[in-house]
This record gives sequence, structure tokens and C-alpha cells, in this order.
Amino acid sequence: MENQTNKSNLRNLSALVDFGNLINSSLDTKFILNNLLLTCFGKFHTTKGLFAVILNGKLQFSISKGLNGNSADEFPEVESDNYINSSNFNNYLKNHKLVHSQEVFSADKLIGVLFLGERLSGDDYSEDDIKFLQTFLNITATALENSISITQLKEVNRNLDNKVHQLSALFDLSKEFGGILEIPLVSKLLGFSIIGQLLVTKYAIVIFRDDKYEILESRFNSDLLKQNISSFNAADISQPILCNSELSGSCTSLFSMGIELIVPMQIKQKTKGLILLGRRNTGESFTKSDIEFVSSVGGLAIISIENSILFKETLEKQKLEKDLEIAKKIQRNLLPSKLPKMKNFEIAAFNNAAKQVGGDYYDALKLSDGKILVAIADVSGKGVQAALLMANLQAFLQAISKQNKELGEASNLLNDLVSDNTSDGRFITFFWGILNDETLNFESVNMGHNPPLIIRDGKIIKLKVGGMIMGVMPTIAPYKKEITTLMKDDLVILFTDGITEAMDQDQNEFSDEKLEELSLTLSNNSAEESLEKILDAVNKHTDGTEQSDDITCIVIKVKRENFG
Amino acid sequence: MADFNVSSRVDGDVNLIDVKGYLDAHTAPELENEFNKLIEKKQFKVVVNFSELNYISSAGLGVFMAYVETMREQSGDIKFSNLKDDVYSIFDLLGFPVLYEFYKEEKDAIKKFG
Repeated sequence: MENQTNKSNLRNLSALVDFGNLINSSLDTKFILNNLLLTCFGKFHTTKGLFAVILNGKLQFSISKGLNGNSADEFPEVESDNYINSSNFNNYLKNHKLVHSQEVFSADKLIGVLFLGERLSGDDYSEDDIKFLQTFLNITATALENSISITQLKEVNRNLDNKVHQLSALFDLSKEFGGILEIPLVSKLLGFSIIGQLLVTKYAIVIFRDDKYEILESRFNSDLLKQNISSFNAADISQPILCNSELSGSCTSLFSMGIELIVPMQIKQKTKGLILLGRRNTGESFTKSDIEFVSSVGGLAIISIENSILFKETLEKQKLEKDLEIAKKIQRNLLPSKLPKMKNFEIAAFNNAAKQVGGDYYDALKLSDGKILVAIADVSGKGVQAALLMANLQAFLQAISKQNKELGEASNLLNDLVSDNTSDGRFITFFWGILNDETLNFESVNMGHNPPLIIRDGKIIKLKVGGMIMGVMPTIAPYKKEITTLMKDDLVILFTDGITEAMDQDQNEFSDEKLEELSLTLSNNSAEESLEKILDAVNKHTDGTEQSDDITCIVIKVKRENFG
Repeated sequence: MADFNVSSRVDGDVNLIDVKGYLDAHTAPELENEFNKLIEKKQFKVVVNFSELNYISSAGLGVFMAYVETMREQSGDIKFSNLKDDVYSIFDLLGFPVLYEFYKEEKDAIKKFG
């Protein structure tokens, strides 16, 4: 009898040694657990077994043998320190006829639990059996812990590799985005990098600009996307949102069209765009690391996009400034470089273009019969177009002035020419007149311009006779002219609205009244002095403000008395 | 700057794309261009030969993701062959083998198109 017990002990011992050798030769968890179950089946004559490892404080299904149904999927979630009391878990054990459990410790730490089914003999597990199993599991513990560590290490390594690849993708993009790129190229590369990294085929990239959104890329139904994105304030999304997360509320419409992840692209915490991703083709869900990756590349891209926008704006501004510079030059070259000399008249003129080029123009030229033609005009609009129209006007005026036409008739012709050459509602306010140095007669036609003033004996005469504003339509009603015979000390003041509408700091205009009031005090001054005083007054009025419109003023002074 | 080169050949009704050098964000548009040309010609059966490719970044991988659905919708596919080990490991890391067929030899990939 004693001999028999010894024999049995010896068999147990050799089984233990064999098993120890076998499982310690492997680092494969599945292999170790498979052998553990098989050895138990052989030793205790049972056909059911399950092993659960402890992971993050929870029991996790690892391997089973001989169990019915889907024992892995049905395995309930249960805490490692409370599984014995969980009714859910006990039901699971009962369903699968697992009657015995034994815990596996390594260095006093629970690392797994073995569950075994009924013995075929119908006997309970005896004290000796339990003792044997305990020894057995102690041997398993070390091998098991090693293999679990290795598996975890492999997992960590893979995650690390993934992280390294994400970083290299980031580096790749940052290198590329360093230069100034066109926005479509930025969004294309951004899209490629994300879908290549995360294996997504459906995606969209949207940016917000001036309170509007712009879809840069869309592999979704674009119309539906437009409709859904404008249905709520998408620019308010300030953190990544996963479909079906607690944050997904406001974006349900987007998620309903197959979008699974929304990541904002931000600059200084302000959302400037969104990256919308569909399902991953591998069926996996987006991890925290994936979302971080999308945020990072999105951050890079949006800076590049912003730079591109700023660059374009600067370029446009520069172009505009150059445009204005050209316009100014054209304008300057159109004005007379010197004024004609006369026996009986002094002429002084001033023109100052505002920063934004306007369309003031004046001219004074000697006609073939010795008379002097004086003209002043304000072309509507600003910039190059106004300057070009002004150039046209000057050319027409110079040409007509050589034909010795009667002034009214010349006005009809000039209006026809200008009308033919203007479009989109442009027009010119124009006044011209001919000074006769012999008779002191001043023939004039006013075509919608601020009436020039004649100051005589403390009174003001306004030169209003003429007709319709120039350039609106061809001449229907011929222009009328008036002839004023000037007298010694008369002052003729021609000006544009840049003078009367010059604004002070409180947006008050210099006004016609003020100009007239001032003009009445100038009779003892020369043309030059009068002009200076007018400009001084305007400058005083506008002190501290930026000149808003062109300023032009011509002053003519009659030097001697009319003889006639 | 590392070089990249892409060219294409034809074997029956299968189009072969040879990629060489470094495929990254800078060079990805060249590969994209090649796919656009194939689609214009209504060619949807594609084998990409990687034998001379040394590096691929996510942007490069993205080009394949961007075109694979179009090819498959037209009864074609994009298959990969002749990858160097370290290039394959990038595909593997990101899970491409679940979605794409990889072959050691170009001719095996061509055969699969039947």
C-alpha cells in the first residue's frame, strides 16, 4: 500500500518535471495555457477547462477547451477581486459546468484563474488534487508571467513603431508645408497622409474663412455635406468628436452620413477648419493616438493654409498699391507742367491727389488764336480706371481745342466722345471756358461741375450755364454757353468738390458757404496769394485727418481794366 | 532631396507601375498623376512593383487608399509586389495586408487578375 502511494507520488513528480520543462521552453502564452489545460484534463479526467488572465484589474478570457457555444464572447466583464461574488460570472461558470477554480499567483500577485469542469469519475476534487494543482500552477506562474510580459512588450513595441511612423509622417508633412503652397495642394497632401496612416477612404476637409465655410476636399456626398455642415455652427467644434460619443449631439447630421470622426484644425485655440473621417476600412475604431495624429497634421496644415491666404492677400495688396502708383503717375502726367502767360490775367493752379487716386483733372492751354482754354474736371471713380478715363478726356480735349470750334458745339462733341468711351455708369463733372486776353470776355460751359465763382465788388457770380453732366449719354440737348465780361480785380475761382467736401475730424465739410465767405475777403490778393489762402484754410480745416479726395483749385485774377 | 521616379508598363490588360526611390509628401503627387492617367484611359487593373522603392511615408500610402475604391468599383484592383522587407513592414504596421493583396513576384500578381 505504501509502495503504491510512493509510486503515485513519483508519477506525479515526473509529470510535474515534464510539464515544467515543456512550458518553460516557450514564451507563447497560448502554448503554455494549452498545455496546462491538457495536463489537467489528463490528470483529473475532466473535459472542460478555461483560463482567464488578469489584465488591468479585470478577468480576461484567454483560452478554453471543451466548452459549449461561444465561451469567449459570452465571458462576462468582471473585476479580479470580486469575481467569486459576481452572480453574472457564477451563472457563466454554471452554464459551462465549470465546478472548480484555482488562482495563480506570481510573487503574491494574482495573475490568472484556472477553471475546471467536473471529473468524469463524478468525484469531487480532493485535498490532494488541490495540493497537486497548486504546485502545478506555481510552476506555470513564472512561465505564464514571462510570456504575458513578452506579449505586452510586443504590443508596446508595435504601438511604438506606429508612433514612430506617425512622427515621420508629421515630419514629412512639416518639411513639405514649410514652403508657401497653394491651398489645394496642402489639403491634398493632408488628405493623403491621413488616409494612408489610418486606412480611411472617405474623408473631407473643410476650412472656415470670413464666417463662411469652404469644402477643400470631399469623398462624401458634397451636397449632403454642405447641407449638414451649415445646419449648425460647425466652427464652434473645439475638440475632436467621435461618432456616438457624449459630444456627438450637435453633429448628429454629420454622423448620419457616415462620418465617424471630426477633428478641428485650430490656430491659437480658434477653429479654422475641420477634418471629417469616415469608417476605417480595416473595421478598427479610432484610437486616442490616431486622433492625436489627425490633430497634429491638421494643425500643421491649417498653418500652411493660413500662410497661403495671408501671402495671397499681401500679394494682392502689393499689386493694388502698384496699380495705384501707376494711376497716380498717369494722372500727374496729364496735368499741365506750366501755365500759359497772359497780359491781363494771372493764373495759379493747385492739384493734390489723395492717397487713393481719384479723378481730378485741370488744364490751361493756349489756343491757336491766342485765347486761353481753362478746364477743370472730376472723373467719377478711383484708381486706374478713373485715370484712364481722365487720359481719354485729356486727349479728346486737346484734339478738339485744335479745331477752333465754337465752345458750345465743342462741348456737344466732347460729351459724345466721352459717352462713347465710358461704361458701367462712369461720368465726369466738367467745366471749361475760354479767356480772351484782348476783350477780357470769358466764354464758359458748365457740364455738371461745381459752379466756379467770380468775385467782384464783394459779390459772387456763379458760372452755372451749360447742360447735363458729361459722359452719361450722347448729347441730346445742345450745351449752352455763357459769356461773362471780366473786370479789373475780378477773381475767378474754379475748384473741385475735394475743396468744399474736405472733412474735419468730426466729419464736417469745409462747405460752399465757407469757401464763398473766404473768397469775398481775397480781392486785394494776387492769384497766387488767393490760392494759398484757400488751401491754407482747407488745410486748417482738415488738420489731423487724412485727405479723402483729390483737391484741385484754379484761381484767375484780372490785372487790368476792361476797355471796351 | 531624395529622388523619386514613377513609370508604367503594360502586360496584357494589366498596368504595371514601377516606383523608385522615396515616396513621400513631396513626391506623392507624381504617383497620383500616374493613377489619374490610368483612370483617364479607363485602366483599372494595376500592379505596383516596389522592387526599387526605398521608403514610403503616410502621404505615399494615402495615394493607394485614394484610388483603390475607384479601381475596385470598376472591377479592377491595386495589387502590390516585390516589396523590400522594411517597406513591407510599414504596410504591415498600418494594417494594409487586410485590405490589399501582396505578392513576392510581379507575375503572381498579374496572374491573379486572370
